[in-house]
Amino acid sequence: MASIITLPIKLSTVPSGWKKPTTSKPSNPNQLPIYPAGPSFIGSARRQILQRSFEEDDKFIISAKEKQLAEKEDKGDGSLYPGLGEEEEPSHVLSQDPKEWKKQDHYAVLGLGHLRYKAHDEHIRIAHRRKVLRHHPDKKAAQHGANDDSFFKCIQKAHETLTNNDKRRQFDSVDWNIEDEVPDLKSLSPEQFVDVCNKVFSREGRFSKVQPVPEFGSLDAPKKEVEGFYDFFYNFDSWRSFEWHDKEVNEGSDNRDDKRFTEKKNKSERTRRKKEDNTRLRVLVDDVLALDPRIKRIKAEEKAARDAKKKGTTNGVPKALTPAEKKAVEEKKKKEELEKKEADKKALEASKGDREAAKKAKEAARKNLKKWKKSIATVISSSNYFQPEGTSPSATIIEKQLSELDLIVDLIEPEQVKELKEKIEKVENGKSAKDILIETVKSIGEKGQDKFTEFA
Amino acid sequence: MINVASVRGHATIGFFNFRYFRLRPKDAQMTILGINFGQSYASIAVIDKEGHPTCIANEEGERQIACAISYVGEQVYIGNGAKPHLVKNGKNTIMGFRNLLGHTYDEVDHTTILTAPLLADSKTPAYTVDILVPPPKPASNPRSAAASGTATPNPAALEPVPSTKTITVPEVTSLFLSTLLTSATDFLGVKPTACVVSAPTWFTSAQHDALKKAAQDAGIAVLQVLDEAAAVLVGYRVGLSEERKSRGLLGKPEEGNAGEEEKRDKKVVVLDMGETSLAVSVVQVSEGEYTVLNKGRDDRLGGREFDNLLLKHFSKEFTKRTKVALDLPCGPDASAADKRADAKLVLAVEHTKRSLSASSGAATCAVESLKDGYDLSSSINRLRFDGLASNVYRQVGNKLNEVVKEAGLDLAEIDEILLAGASTLFTGLQQHLSLLVSPTTPVTSTIDPSEVIAIGCALQALHLENLKEDNLKVEDVLSSTKEKVDVTSAPIGLIIPGQESDELVAVVIDAGAPLPVRRRVAIPVEKAGLVGLELWEGKHEVKITKVERAPIEKSEDDDEDEDDEEEEEDEEIKTPITKKVKVLGGVQVDFKGEGQLILEVIVQRNGGLNVKAWQEGNESQIDSFEV
Repeated sequence: MASIITLPIKLSTVPSGWKKPTTSKPSNPNQLPIYPAGPSFIGSARRQILQRSFEEDDKFIISAKEKQLAEKEDKGDGSLYPGLGEEEEPSHVLSQDPKEWKKQDHYAVLGLGHLRYKAHDEHIRIAHRRKVLRHHPDKKAAQHGANDDSFFKCIQKAHETLTNNDKRRQFDSVDWNIEDEVPDLKSLSPEQFVDVCNKVFSREGRFSKVQPVPEFGSLDAPKKEVEGFYDFFYNFDSWRSFEWHDKEVNEGSDNRDDKRFTEKKNKSERTRRKKEDNTRLRVLVDDVLALDPRIKRIKAEEKAARDAKKKGTTNGVPKALTPAEKKAVEEKKKKEELEKKEADKKALEASKGDREAAKKAKEAARKNLKKWKKSIATVISSSNYFQPEGTSPSATIIEKQLSELDLIVDLIEPEQVKELKEKIEKVENGKSAKDILIETVKSIGEKGQDKFTEFA
Repeated sequence: MINVASVRGHATIGFFNFRYFRLRPKDAQMTILGINFGQSYASIAVIDKEGHPTCIANEEGERQIACAISYVGEQVYIGNGAKPHLVKNGKNTIMGFRNLLGHTYDEVDHTTILTAPLLADSKTPAYTVDILVPPPKPASNPRSAAASGTATPNPAALEPVPSTKTITVPEVTSLFLSTLLTSATDFLGVKPTACVVSAPTWFTSAQHDALKKAAQDAGIAVLQVLDEAAAVLVGYRVGLSEERKSRGLLGKPEEGNAGEEEKRDKKVVVLDMGETSLAVSVVQVSEGEYTVLNKGRDDRLGGREFDNLLLKHFSKEFTKRTKVALDLPCGPDASAADKRADAKLVLAVEHTKRSLSASSGAATCAVESLKDGYDLSSSINRLRFDGLASNVYRQVGNKLNEVVKEAGLDLAEIDEILLAGASTLFTGLQQHLSLLVSPTTPVTSTIDPSEVIAIGCALQALHLENLKEDNLKVEDVLSSTKEKVDVTSAPIGLIIPGQESDELVAVVIDAGAPLPVRRRVAIPVEKAGLVGLELWEGKHEVKITKVERAPIEKSEDDDEDEDDEEEEEDEEIKTPITKKVKVLGGVQVDFKGEGQLILEVIVQRNGGLNVKAWQEGNESQIDSFEV
């Protein structure tokens, strides 16, 4: 490229009467040896070999330069620090006070403002190295003679903070450069809603102790995923903490009470903020759940699935039926069901009545047994214990006859006792009554063998 | 130093991904080496990972590596380690072999060789040295090997056998260059893929070829054997004003601009003063292209002269203190004690010389048992040394003047003096030179003169290696020009119409610019209207104006003779001017408002002239003519 040199002269309008002189050829060229060295020689050799004119070569050089620039831009500073990129160093970052390190944006100081909490340890290490090389006070002193190491101190503080896991979490917790605003969710279309929520929850997810954090997901996420997401965020376990906002305990003060007071205050403040933050997140999840178009979709889907299931069980081919037939079938089914129910009910009731009657009868028989035994005993005593008339029966006979009567009553069923009483009351005759008793004993058979003497 | 550097390099590789540690020139496979191969000292430069050329040190931490090889018994010393052996083992030490390259035995001046003798009957010059070779191995007998536990070999058979070795000059060169290559390979971690080796300005093409072949035999990928003066010019990026300025390589003259800008066309003297010789080249720089106007050399003027001066000084000092007669440097028929003292003191004063050129304080010289058991311990300061060396300085100045005169120029026309070679490090010499030229001419040593040639070689190798991007072959580019090229014979400049003057107002194309050449200049125009310019061919001249010195009022105390003599002379002020000789044509442009007139002048390869002129930003209205 031909550089243009401004000559130290000035031109003004030509004097009148001046005319362009006639042209003539310059003197013949000389011959001189040349050193085949340097970029200019190579340039002229290139023009000669490729037979380019000056203009063509200019174009070529410009395009080559542009190409080179484009390559350089692609890489950024990337050949040495791949993936890190180059960030500007605005004056407010460079000129900050290292004493105000709590207000310092550590990521911006290291040139990691675009990565923030996403920066790996390796990023931080390389970024720190790069900044140190650039801003080392020795270097500054050599370049400008300035003895200014304030920005270097900022770099060191940033590095110290970001390489210590606890401190980095404390800073990340309160990183004011990450906005945590949530736009008005109600006014969003479903697509926008999903978009916004994805962003919001990937941002919120950075505080989770459990990683990886499930994504909010797409508009057509399956039920399981959606439920998984809400489960996760309702049981969110956050490491976010607010030590960064602590008020400095005045180290110099000897007052122990003072220190304790501040510490206590800090602690309560931290818990308050933490609580606030947890509430904030829960409210956010509540809001989102209420507005989530996917939940509505899933509910609708479930209902449809239920209905479909119902139809599937009544008829193998539910779709072949006309509505009228369906109705008929349904009615028939209903009727059958009703009938069956009633029949069952009746049967149940009937059996119940029988059993109760039997029970009652049995109890009644048991109650009457004594009565019946007494009436039989009166018949026996009235017939003078089957003794000839005029003779009073001995006590042993009476006792024998009565105990044998007890035995009979025990051995036979209450109904038979009733029959026996009715038979004996009918005859009312001493002899025949004894015969009836003997018959009964005989009918008892083996059970009463050898036990009866009077009524044998 | 080299070890530290390479260890650090390896650690970096381990630490970083390998990508972080690649060399800037395109990829890791491209490693560049520049070798300054001098008669007495060599140095090597590589392109570092930032893309800058740097002179590196060898394993011993030396940036200046002595071109010396010494055979001591079974051992071979190469480089600075070989130099001390010159004292005891001069017969088997080889030095100063470079200048013999490409010569036949008969062409060599045998009287100057003080080291190992040259073999008389060989075609190419060859040295003979006494060495000890390892003993021939006893005839291998499998049985005796098995029984070696019992039969110990005769210890006498293991003694090295005295022998002589014949080694030709190209072989010595290859051996030496291969050690340089090893040093560079150790530093870079990989073998350099491209290399440029320097050769003195007066080397013939046969010598160039011999050097190239020797380097290739050493396993060096030689792209080019480059003239030392050209290497200096490339190293300083002369003519590439912006790059040179950004790297702070512009020299600072005593007057005028303080190294802020550089003329596009200029005449530069490269003054290379090494250990043994002085080379002066006058070069026309036309926008980065270097054409040679003249070159000359003096084989006796070198750093060795300073050594001899110091030798003389310290031997006198020694005699004065100890009353022991010692006259150094001694001739060939001196006593053995004198010769030994000479060799001892030569090594010592070299250190003294270096510290003199490096620091402004006094430099010491101490030798134990210089002669007859007496020690020497003395010092010399810069002022004293400059006084001693003023004669040498004057000789250098005379040589410079002579070479410039031979080129048909005057010292006043020289725009810059570039210094190379470690001997130019003396500030006294630099001051002397700057007094010879005009006060606006810088005497530049912004790059360490002892390293600039190696750096220039490395840069040139980088430039040549970058040709691959354009799909051009190095051989094609280097063979594209013959020895000599067509150049403009006279400067072409401007005359502003209406201004009656026989001088050109400004020179657009200087004489000596290789054809084809294109130049663009911008000229501010004050007001709208028709502006015109005439193009003239000119002729460089030197205007001498005599200025009568204002008579200094003599004070009564000031009556020294020297001052009076100076005052009587009128001071001559020489200013280079360009007289107009032949009109070539003219242009006129109708200007609309203020602006700049852009004038483009092209001299074609056949000598034809194309001239265009237009108002900047308004290229539709072009006034042009062709011849």
